[in-house]
Amino acid sequence: MRVSSDHSWIDEASVNFETNESDSYALEEGLQIREKNGDGEVVVISMGPEGRTQKVIREALAKGADRGVHITEEGPSETDPLRSAGVFAKALQEEQFDLILSGLQSLDLGMGQTGVILGELLGMSSATLVMETEIGENSIRVKRELESGWFQWVTLSLPACLSIQSGINHPRYPSLKGIMGAKKKEIKTLPKAEIIESNVNQSITRVYSMQKAKQTEMITGDIDQQITRLVEALRTEIKVL
Amino acid sequence: MDILVALENNSGSIHRMSLEALAAGQKLASEMNLSLSMLVMDKNGGDLAENAGKFNAEEVLLLENPLLDNYSSDGYSQAITSVLEQEKPRFVFMGHTYMVRDFLPRVSARLRIPFISDVVQFRVDDGTPVFTKQVFNAKLAADIVSQSEGTTLVSFQSAAYQSDQAEAGAATIRSISIEMDSSVIKTQSEEPFKEEAGGVDLTNAEIIVSVGRGIGKEENLPIVNTLVDALGAELGSSRPIVDSGWLEPSRQIGSSGQNVAPKLYLALGISGAIQHVVGMKGSKNIVAVNKDSEAPIFEIADYGIVGDILEIIPKLSEAVEAAKN
Amino acid sequence: MSEREVLELDVLFVGAGPASLAGAIHLQSLLKESGQEASIAILEKAGEIGAHSLSGAIVDPRTLKELFPDFDQQNIPFESEVTEEHLYYLTKAKKFSFPFIPSPMSHHGCYISSIGKLTRWLGEKCENEGIDIFCGFPGTELIYEGDQVIGVRTGDRGIDKNGEQKSQYEAGAEIHAKVVILGEGTRGSLTKKLIQRHELMNGKNPQVWAIGVKELWKMPPGSVQPGYVAHTMGFPLGHNIFGGAFLYGMQDDIWDLGLVVGLDYSNPAVDSHHELQLLKTHPWMKSVLDGGELISYGAKSLPEGGWFSIPKLTVNGAMLIGDSAGFMNGQRLKGIHLAMKSGMLAAETIVDALSENNFSDEILSDFEKKVNSSWLRDELWKVRNFHQAFDHGLFGGLINAGMGLVTGGRGWGIKNRMSSEPGHLRMEKGKIENRYNELIFDGKYLFDKVTDVYHSATAHEEDQIPHLHVRDPDVCITKCPEEFGNPCEKFCPADVYEMVGEGETRKLQINFSNCVHCKTCDIMDPYQIIDWVPPEGGDGPTWVNL
Repeated sequence: MRVSSDHSWIDEASVNFETNESDSYALEEGLQIREKNGDGEVVVISMGPEGRTQKVIREALAKGADRGVHITEEGPSETDPLRSAGVFAKALQEEQFDLILSGLQSLDLGMGQTGVILGELLGMSSATLVMETEIGENSIRVKRELESGWFQWVTLSLPACLSIQSGINHPRYPSLKGIMGAKKKEIKTLPKAEIIESNVNQSITRVYSMQKAKQTEMITGDIDQQITRLVEALRTEIKVL
Repeated sequence: MDILVALENNSGSIHRMSLEALAAGQKLASEMNLSLSMLVMDKNGGDLAENAGKFNAEEVLLLENPLLDNYSSDGYSQAITSVLEQEKPRFVFMGHTYMVRDFLPRVSARLRIPFISDVVQFRVDDGTPVFTKQVFNAKLAADIVSQSEGTTLVSFQSAAYQSDQAEAGAATIRSISIEMDSSVIKTQSEEPFKEEAGGVDLTNAEIIVSVGRGIGKEENLPIVNTLVDALGAELGSSRPIVDSGWLEPSRQIGSSGQNVAPKLYLALGISGAIQHVVGMKGSKNIVAVNKDSEAPIFEIADYGIVGDILEIIPKLSEAVEAAKN
Repeated sequence: MSEREVLELDVLFVGAGPASLAGAIHLQSLLKESGQEASIAILEKAGEIGAHSLSGAIVDPRTLKELFPDFDQQNIPFESEVTEEHLYYLTKAKKFSFPFIPSPMSHHGCYISSIGKLTRWLGEKCENEGIDIFCGFPGTELIYEGDQVIGVRTGDRGIDKNGEQKSQYEAGAEIHAKVVILGEGTRGSLTKKLIQRHELMNGKNPQVWAIGVKELWKMPPGSVQPGYVAHTMGFPLGHNIFGGAFLYGMQDDIWDLGLVVGLDYSNPAVDSHHELQLLKTHPWMKSVLDGGELISYGAKSLPEGGWFSIPKLTVNGAMLIGDSAGFMNGQRLKGIHLAMKSGMLAAETIVDALSENNFSDEILSDFEKKVNSSWLRDELWKVRNFHQAFDHGLFGGLINAGMGLVTGGRGWGIKNRMSSEPGHLRMEKGKIENRYNELIFDGKYLFDKVTDVYHSATAHEEDQIPHLHVRDPDVCITKCPEEFGNPCEKFCPADVYEMVGEGETRKLQINFSNCVHCKTCDIMDPYQIIDWVPPEGGDGPTWVNL
């Protein structure tokens, strides 16, 4: 992976694109909830340029999603989560989903916000770091991950927006018939430029390699002297003791 | 008010990550000559506020409301929104905790203000604060600036700043209140519980002691465990150790294992092949011990010792225990 | 999810490389012309088209012009037409230019190309024509009815390293097809089985192979001329190891540097990765790569045997095309145009078979007749004895090649057909000689294998049975160390094979996760106990533009 020559982003030609790993878990959870519920429609939405975004949506359709929405994006990728979520909210608000699932965060910026903001803009109840779901009549009970090995079950009213933690399930593989069938499923396209807000709330000014100005202190002396110096460093400089 | 640092409670004391956010806030305040206050909104708010009052700041805002006694995303996002509408700070600083990830984006949505999350450092360029975040799995960094004319929300990565750098002082405590109806809370939470962890999650560990081929034999691992216990650390390893079946896969750090950035990474008998380094080079402090003075690990280490880890580890464990007492 | 999915198709290609892609496109267009319809699909083990494709490459546009008559309007993603070519003889420190380049070895009118880009472009054309390409589905077994191939089974997914089913386990699919065309590329795994079962090499020369290892270097702007071509002989391989280097100028300031090493050397300690690093120690190479940065690494084997090493191409229900069949011109170092042409000729045969609804060898063998009467045969016939004389060293090989040029391909100017010997048999016991004593890896210009492997962007699902089956690992500890010095550690360009432990605990460790699917181990192991089979679908390198 290389930074683009103007340091505004990465050089996209230097990498391979694939479905964001967290999102695969979210999709799988959606497909499983539909299976447990007996029926329902699973829709996928993604924003980005032609080729790679269509590929990601088709892969989801091959796995069992029913239809897709592609927000076509020309030019640099959106990096303001408020704006991204705003676009999705506009594209989806007519549809009135019972559940919106998103991955915990994206590999690129890793803000971890878009899904939560989207839920809020659509007036849905919200939970993050979801490890397990139990769909009910008008509610959904979810297990949230807390810090340090703690968990908590929370019941939310529908409609609900959940951000899904990785490892919650095992994403299925698309079958051959699924891949063939995906070609016939609908993908609606909508240009980002038509629905995005003009307001930019935060922006990236520079992308670069973080080179730590590393001065390595090679600790010398006999073994006891080395240990003494190291412990001193651990105590006073690194401050872990 | 310029900077508002919202504090979280961790078993009765101020959460370490909130103190780190406070240290960052104080630094920004002094660099740009801004005022700083803290916010406590918690069941045991009174005690927490008193502790907070011992740090250098203008005020500690104390918000006590029964609807906030237990955490809920609905309650907290509503409360913070109201506080921000009342107090209108320029910045809100918090630690990037699970709780903050859960509710702060909703505040961003309600007030249409930016949330710059998981920041590792900031600097001031020509009077503008520039926040730095790791991107692409910590392979690269990005500088981010806010375009907001109102409040900007910022959360700080664990150990980005040091909790013991938070300056002591005296702050006055001011009680505040907000309007909140119980219908705001649309979720029912059950009691939190602890569970056997599936695999080890090294990404939250503060200290990682990591072992590589230099350990030689599986029989030598117990001395590493002693050091792990002495330091209160987690155990990690490079790939060959896991491949040999000496440790479980969740301990593996590197391009095909976990990606960690702890406060201290102790690399024992690890050569520093690129596949391993990409998984830990974001660590705040790296100490490497290896008998090969040319080992590439020394290029990224802050402290290095050329020596036999089988001799050094037991002595280090002893010295650490002694230093603790 | 544990029942086998069964799919019925008319035509199934295995491997989405240039041969199958060109074949499928041509087939679809022939069918349209004649008003026929057939379901066509291609299986590809990589998660994406092009991810496992690696070549130099210089492409002769001849076939693409046949496949796309509007070639000039097509915008095929070549790097550049060849603008400048050089042939050098290198010593350790010097470089001598050949006074002229014999025209059969000239690349004038050809295009420097990244095979990854080319296959992706062809893949898009396929999808636009309604041809399904199933990525992430390796063909692991041929399905027979009697002695007729009736389909292919794809690999199971979700089996852990102990052979147990994981929760996302999915049995491989069974695809039934009227005809199966194997375009698996070099040393195809289904191809290997087909050849063995049907004795398709009877009366043929054994195939001989080479390995190509390459690095892509990103240079400061303006320092690379797209279209620049240089080939070299001499250093570092010397006169007794077949091969030579190539340097091609790509777009975006990228140098494409590689080394082809014949897999028929006698010294078991030869390591093609190390040879590539040695090449970079040459002063000319240092000046060329000055200021640059390594961005990618990869390796792949190639079939060098030529015309007489091509197996019988058809059996009941199945056909061989491309590198799987051995369609490669070793002298011109070009195979892509031949692969595509073989795919097109196969397509013509398939159209006939479909209209007669007869896929027996009787009908399919028409493919060989078509090959024999096409320019494919003309081209390969002229170089039919090219590789064989290199057994006598570099000068022998060149003299033979020179005489071949003037006699239309006769070996030593006289022999119609020279024999060859499988490369792994030429490895000499006890003749282990370390050529790399002076090689120092600095991690910035010269890289150790582990670092280069990192730049090959290769990953495999860790929790699966290793896809490299060593049938008798005791040999690694008993016989091999003395006889050959465990050459697997050297001939594998990706550090997959490692002897670990001391004394009692010494054993062969297989780091299958590093495997770049070059097939060298399957080819070069002197005891022939290694079987390369496809790992779980989608695993392996994720090359973008190699």
